[in-house]
Amino acid sequence: MANILLNVLIAFLMGSILFGLQRKIMARIQMRPGPPVIQHLLHTFKFFVKESSFPKTAAMPFYIAITAMLCVIWVSAVIVGPVTQGSLLLIFAIYALHKIVEHNAGSSSGSPYGKLSCVRAVFSAAAEVPLFAVLIIIYFKTGTMDLSQIIGFQTTNGPLIYSIPLAAAMFFVLILSKAPYSPFAITKGKDIISGYETEHFGLLRGYLMISESIAWYMLLWVFLTVFIGGLNPLMYLVGMVILSTVVAFINATTPILNPNHSIMMQASLALIGVVGSLILLL
Amino acid sequence: MDKLQISSYLIFIISVASIAYGLLFNPANWVVYGISIIFIPSGILSFGLIVMKKGPKEEEEDKIREPFIGY
Repeated sequence: MANILLNVLIAFLMGSILFGLQRKIMARIQMRPGPPVIQHLLHTFKFFVKESSFPKTAAMPFYIAITAMLCVIWVSAVIVGPVTQGSLLLIFAIYALHKIVEHNAGSSSGSPYGKLSCVRAVFSAAAEVPLFAVLIIIYFKTGTMDLSQIIGFQTTNGPLIYSIPLAAAMFFVLILSKAPYSPFAITKGKDIISGYETEHFGLLRGYLMISESIAWYMLLWVFLTVFIGGLNPLMYLVGMVILSTVVAFINATTPILNPNHSIMMQASLALIGVVGSLILLL
Repeated sequence: MDKLQISSYLIFIISVASIAYGLLFNPANWVVYGISIIFIPSGILSFGLIVMKKGPKEEEEDKIREPFIGY
């Protein structure tokens, strides 16, 4: 229990600070001073004590329960990942559930922006879930979907990033699409205010931000574990900072794509990734 | 105290008690996973519902009144 609590706390703090770092780097690239690195963390705490009310159009209690659902799935991911090193298939299921939560958070609020975002969540799932499915390439390569065995495989055969680089690139695109201000972040595009989170303000926004920080940490953790291998905590930290920095560079220099273009680009990359990786495996 | 406040206190107490049980009594793994998955999120949410600031009573109606119902 203490192990789980500690891992959830680390995931939340690390995820928040990495989000803050990302915003800082993006600001510097755009010649702005930018907020302090701990700003995302401070925002999360601030929202908890902000005045909150629930809109009349919200579908209660679903409107509140869906925020708890997001936290439930990412706490489960922490248990499947760093705590027990269980099956990669469960992480895949958790990601699919994340898309469903995005959809339902948008539809439960009753806001037209939320509803638009809810449609976009389904739309983007059509491209992001196939992107996540490139993890099946890992099964063809290692013969297992178990995280501990994948780490063991890499200890003897070297990191998978060298043998199946296209699968790693596809997973990176998936990570990129979950970053704020990313070219693929169509569910939270500024044209629809804050997307599915528009009507979740005050403590519910803070609660969603906790789950999103855990989600960000977990996606980076899965990438590093699956494609580089079991690392020590310091190397995980270095790897996460490098990945977040690369994502920040991409986000700072690329506008958010139109939903059609975003989906087509992700779907094309998924196709190239799967076909290319299968050819490399032959 | 309204219904939301009472249920938040109840959920918070149950969550903290369950987490304390998991920490102190070393139950089976599946029980620990169940407690973590259910009671960590519900503990955070109920804590938030307890500490959140509420506006003045007289402004409440203005906040929930629908300004536009054209959609």
